[in-house]
Amino acid sequence: MNEEKVFGLSVKASLDNLQTIRQYIDRVGERLGVSDEALGDLRLVVDEAVTNVVIHGYGDNEGIVELHMEGDGDAVIIRIRDQAEPFDPGHVNNPQLDTALKDRPFGGMGIFLIKQMTDEAEFLTPAGGGNEIRLVKKGAIQ
Amino acid sequence: MTTLNIMVGEEQGNVAVTILRVEGDIDAATHKTLQDKASEVVDGGATHILLDLGGVNYMGSAGFRAIHAITNMLNDEGSSGLSKSPYLKLLNPTDAVGRVIKTLGFDVYLDIYQDRAEAINSF
Repeated sequence: MNEEKVFGLSVKASLDNLQTIRQYIDRVGERLGVSDEALGDLRLVVDEAVTNVVIHGYGDNEGIVELHMEGDGDAVIIRIRDQAEPFDPGHVNNPQLDTALKDRPFGGMGIFLIKQMTDEAEFLTPAGGGNEIRLVKKGAIQ
Repeated sequence: MTTLNIMVGEEQGNVAVTILRVEGDIDAATHKTLQDKASEVVDGGATHILLDLGGVNYMGSAGFRAIHAITNMLNDEGSSGLSKSPYLKLLNPTDAVGRVIKTLGFDVYLDIYQDRAEAINSF
């Protein structure tokens, strides 16, 4: 039997499905042999990415979010696809870590965490429309 | 659907400390539950809050937005700069939550304790 290396999930883009998506990351991570620390980071970055898709991408519209997670050597590659309006993370400012909390603007933390906790984070606009976020976490698989 | 349970307690240390014991995952679907409960206790007169995160397996940026909002609820106008909040402290975050706290720089603003009694007496 060939060992399955690529795992997919397609769910309605809804905040109510965030827990389901985190559980999917946990399940696949366990199958791939991802370390606990890397799994915690992947759970976080995917949750943040999908939250952005739901809130900033689809907004009031309904849509689907597709996830593909695979192992590549000791790295994990995750692709998150949607059919929402193209999203440019360049418009999102990093949080101001050296500013008093009460003066810090809300927001920007999700994209910041995605960039901090992955080795590669690409925000792509496929020819067919929508968005694809490609995340790579190296050294994740033990 | 994720649910978040929050138990409210009060302990008398040097001041009356309201303890919010949170259980569940704090994400974009649930963070408002925490924010609303904090708002409710602050409206009820709470001035010092200890946020017990021992039962939180997952906390994303939405959780930190809630914490940010709670510090704003409690912060008097005299507090400024990068000093730690005398009004909100954290208890017992898991390693994963602790890493996110550090990555987002919230350890600069908030004291984090592992021991409940020590946390209560620190206010």
